[in-house]
Amino acid sequence: MLLSGSGGGLSDGVDRDPRLVLVSGKGGVGKTSVSCALALREARAGRRVLLVSTDPAHNLGHAWGTALGDDPRRVLVDAGHVDAVEIDPARTVQQHLRTVGESLRRLLPERMHGPAEQHLELARDAPGTHESAVLERLAELVVGACHPSSAYDVVVVDTAPTGHTLRLLALPERLTTWTESLLANRDRSERFGAALRGLGGGEEHVDRDAELRRVLVRRRDRFAGLRDLLVDPERAGFWLVATAERLPVAETQALHTQLRALGIPVRRLVVNRRSPADGAVLTARRAVEDQHLAVLADAVPGVPLTEVPLLPGDLTGEPALAALAEHLA
Amino acid sequence: MTRGRWAATREALRAGLEELYAGPYRATMRRARREEDDLFMLVVLAEALGVPDPAAYWSAELLPATYEEFHAWHRRIGMERSPLDHVGCC
Repeated sequence: MLLSGSGGGLSDGVDRDPRLVLVSGKGGVGKTSVSCALALREARAGRRVLLVSTDPAHNLGHAWGTALGDDPRRVLVDAGHVDAVEIDPARTVQQHLRTVGESLRRLLPERMHGPAEQHLELARDAPGTHESAVLERLAELVVGACHPSSAYDVVVVDTAPTGHTLRLLALPERLTTWTESLLANRDRSERFGAALRGLGGGEEHVDRDAELRRVLVRRRDRFAGLRDLLVDPERAGFWLVATAERLPVAETQALHTQLRALGIPVRRLVVNRRSPADGAVLTARRAVEDQHLAVLADAVPGVPLTEVPLLPGDLTGEPALAALAEHLA
Repeated sequence: MTRGRWAATREALRAGLEELYAGPYRATMRRARREEDDLFMLVVLAEALGVPDPAAYWSAELLPATYEEFHAWHRRIGMERSPLDHVGCC
């Protein structure tokens, strides 16, 4: 169970070891702690881990006691190591618009450079831009890291609370469809153009058509690549984190249903902060938790469930995370 | 008629007939292609035209390749002057 076969991946104790684990669940149930503990466990098993946070309220840095940013920073060195990233959508938007701006400026006369900038600014504030930037940066990090020849063996993603993450996960499919409908438009246009040439008509637009197609195809392939990765049980899987309480359990059930509808494999349930049978109050709590746990196990059969006891102290820093990791073995 | 003059007359006849038959089809093809291209342009420029576009982040990438067509496009869809304040093509 310690080391998987060739090619990297988790020591998950199940048949297939995914390279990519996304950790999700209701806000406040311990996603970040579980993500970090998982990353630590893998690093101690000799793996090179990329740990990414998509949560706008990033907690990853707090967990390791260090400032993190949009570029990977090493937070742990052991037999393997852990590099951590807090995705910064604003930076991604800036880079994206700058790249487009550079292309536009190459094509436009000087007097139109200012106006072109203004035009791009509209995209900055458009609905969906923030999510798109998170998706783009995540795809960049994850697809690169999951490539067989990458510098990482495992990628762990600490995601934003449930709703945000579901919308984010639905994007690759929707954007693939979007680019494909634009490509269909280009197909029709080019067919008419070819017919026109066959009838002795003009040779207009050929370079432009090729350029548009190139941009669209590249974009479509990136979306489709991420989508295919997310639904591949051999390469990716979700860990759902909850506490044994009513709302977290309900949200976990809903999240599981949604993920299955998206075709995304759910690999494990982690139930945090189990009260010990210690004293009147905690024992009573434990009994109620047992009931909620039964509901969850019943609603999501066939997914391994790991219970983690309530741990003393904050789950920050290597020793505390290592203690948590013991329970995730 | 000499061989040369007959060849020239035949060529003129052929060209005229081709125009007669192919002309309308060329016009149809041209119009059909323009419709597709105009639709594409609308998608790319939606946000700038005041239509909220959640995919504006992605369609921005398509702007450089569509820039050349912009002037011809706005004239074609019936706008005398550029509808975008900040694109002064005319």
